Amino acid sequence: MLALGLEGSANKLGVGIIQHLPPTPSHPLPSSSSSPSPPTSTTAHSLKLHPHPLPPPQIRILANLRHTFVSPPGTGFLPRETAQHHRRWVVRLIKQALKQAAERLDCVCYTKGPGMGAPLAAVAVAARTVAGLWGKKVVGVNHCVGHIEMGRTITSSSNPIVLYVSGGNTQIIAYASHRYRIFGETLDIAVGNCLDRFARTLNISNDPAPGYNIEQLAKKGRRLLDLPYAVKGMDCSFGGILASIDVMAAELERAEREGGKWRVPGGDGEEKDVVTREDLCFTLQETVYAMLVEITERAMAHVGANQVLIVGGVGCNERLQEMMGLMAESRGGSVYATDERFCIDNGIMIAHAGLLAYRTGFDTKMEDTTCTQRFRTDEVYVGWRE
Amino acid sequence: MMPAQPSIQVSLPPPFNSHSVHDQSKTPTLLTQGAEALVFRTTFLTPSTPCALKYRPSKPYRHPILDKGLTRQRILAEARVLVRCRKEGVRVPAVLAADWEAGWLLLEWIPGWTIRRCLDAFLTPEDTESPSHRNDDNPRAAELKDLMRRIGLTVAHLHSIGVIHGDLTTNQQLPTSLAGTITLIDFGLAVQTTQDEDKAVDLYVLERAFAATHPAAEELFRGVLEAYGGAYNGGRQALKRLEDVRLRGRKRSMIG
Amino acid sequence: MAAVQALALGHLPGNPLFVGTFRDVKNVSFLRSQLLTGNPDYEYAFIDAEVILSTTHLLAACFRAINNLNANRLKTRNVHSEIVFALSPNNNIAESFRRFGLVDDTKHIVAIKVGMSTTPDITEESVRRHLMANVEGNAAALADATFAETGNVARIRKLYKIQDQSSAQPKSQKQPKLANGVTGPESKAGEDFNKVNDLESIILGLMALKGS
Repeated sequence: MLALGLEGSANKLGVGIIQHLPPTPSHPLPSSSSSPSPPTSTTAHSLKLHPHPLPPPQIRILANLRHTFVSPPGTGFLPRETAQHHRRWVVRLIKQALKQAAERLDCVCYTKGPGMGAPLAAVAVAARTVAGLWGKKVVGVNHCVGHIEMGRTITSSSNPIVLYVSGGNTQIIAYASHRYRIFGETLDIAVGNCLDRFARTLNISNDPAPGYNIEQLAKKGRRLLDLPYAVKGMDCSFGGILASIDVMAAELERAEREGGKWRVPGGDGEEKDVVTREDLCFTLQETVYAMLVEITERAMAHVGANQVLIVGGVGCNERLQEMMGLMAESRGGSVYATDERFCIDNGIMIAHAGLLAYRTGFDTKMEDTTCTQRFRTDEVYVGWRE
Repeated sequence: MMPAQPSIQVSLPPPFNSHSVHDQSKTPTLLTQGAEALVFRTTFLTPSTPCALKYRPSKPYRHPILDKGLTRQRILAEARVLVRCRKEGVRVPAVLAADWEAGWLLLEWIPGWTIRRCLDAFLTPEDTESPSHRNDDNPRAAELKDLMRRIGLTVAHLHSIGVIHGDLTTNQQLPTSLAGTITLIDFGLAVQTTQDEDKAVDLYVLERAFAATHPAAEELFRGVLEAYGGAYNGGRQALKRLEDVRLRGRKRSMIG
Repeated sequence: MAAVQALALGHLPGNPLFVGTFRDVKNVSFLRSQLLTGNPDYEYAFIDAEVILSTTHLLAACFRAINNLNANRLKTRNVHSEIVFALSPNNNIAESFRRFGLVDDTKHIVAIKVGMSTTPDITEESVRRHLMANVEGNAAALADATFAETGNVARIRKLYKIQDQSSAQPKSQKQPKLANGVTGPESKAGEDFNKVNDLESIILGLMALKGS
């Protein structure tokens, strides 16, 4: 079966086409003909389908295209401009994707939420349009569930604790009886948002991504400065950390403007007291990633799991992956992460999660193909898992 | 107590790591392995004084400076809260010794059952036809009700001195006997605050823990709250806040 | 009465303790002068028994001092001075000696010698002989019963700034139900709060937190 996936919850426009391959004889897959789709479909919110667990899917990625709206250094991506970007590019991307995958589509999947309203709406309109044009079913997909399912399939991790970290979300998730349950999350801003905004403060380039550039700078950092450490049980917060590191950045920039260097005592000697932008990036990364690993470990201890899956844009960060690996190793477990093709928002994950739901008999009625900025991960009924 | 999971790396900090035949104290035995602390049973000073050793091993993933700072901060926070509670007469394990450089805390050994075990014992009816807790004439039902009341009073006492447990579950309270004093344990996530919100979340976590323990336990929990509300000045206000916390389920609504 | 008791603390088998307890000591000034001049023969932890609540109180200080010694973290000159310092709830070394060590009018004393691998000639016998020859007092047992007689609980409370809860009760009249931490039938169970055992556990906690 074949699905088109459209993603646009933030500044990436993603178009992907995924194929779920026919079952191997030992794992018969229900086909669309054997499981008649209900005559009246329900919305994602009030979904009450019978569980219809699917075996781990064999997938083929037929197209995975992304176009990112890159805002100038020092600025963030505003909803209006981002939506304009998505509208400008969506037809071109879909055409190109279809060229790469000419085979017949079964459904059109799009991101229903959570995310920024205007970009979500722009892509929802595109999804409705092509679905209407081609006479296809539409499947509204929860963005977070898209990340989780893609990550699980790509890494073949069966039942991991999921750390979902991006510009908009920070959650620790574990699966239990047909829901992805949120064990811990940020109490204020997302970790990626904290990194992005710090990049703006220091005028670090947004190309290809602010977090990537912070990571490169952090590799040259040596000195760890004192930041707040805000972990509360399995929850955490980043607002206070951002405020503190922004103050440090302001100090550093003022010192540089005055033609000098910023010195903070405690580095053991004249030159070692000097704090650089690299040190600030290093400090920020070491602190926030330690927090993320800590709450992940707590969740693992809580449910007795030893697999961790990192998804979301921040999940590309190699230092985070390394730290998570050290933690998992000390617990006799392992960490699963994907590269930027799947970590960063993409259409494939929407197509994949949408197709999983579609195969259990789910689709979204045309009048329900809206989008929503708030859409919790645990609202989705996960009928395709045991 | 949860059974200790098979562990990959179990090490002991000094001085507990160098055992010789001359030492009469027993080799510490691992009881629980949480996310950040290992709890062992061992002895303090003499072989006849049992105690709990709570060890926070260094985390290999953390920057050494950050690691040292956090370990120190958490051991001290826990020890300070415990000492504070003892001074104010709240029953908690006494702090016997601490070494925040090596990462350990020695605590008084508290014998007894967890509340969870008490509930399980009470609420598992021996005769299936009439569960004992339903029968108000049953002396056990009265005893159980009194246990709820005492849990409420104990938590109220803790909150009244400005301490929030932070991880209040039915595994964290030990009555020395069914009618005895309740001792609160595991203050690893405790904070000192007088905010209604924090108190309410503390109660909410306990409520969820009750609900998860036994279906009938949820009903019993009302007795806990009743006793709590009347026990100190801020009690009613905290209960009011608990209603808000219940509605939003502790979690915020999610913005993409 | 054995004048000197030898014991090893749990987990610290490499550092045996030799403890002499003496009541009504006549030559405290002499012992103190030996300490002040740094006479190596008098390298003991000399403690005023009046400020010792119990054996556990005393040994907890030894445990901390020996642990500091083995971790190379002594704050004072040697493990013996460290024991006296460990008894104090604060970081003022001079003050800890004034309050927990010997002063000229100290009556009852505890003398502790810590054995080390570098001092194999220090034995129970050598310590006993030395103390018996040089301390003019009545040997007593290292036991809670001794400290129950020699200890001054009011002074101990003052040193550690611990209020007597039974006398502090009227202060919290605003919350009468919680004045004793508990209400109704529980007060009975709670009565032992004010006993020595609880005072001891608070003191141990304060000693453990010292230096933080």
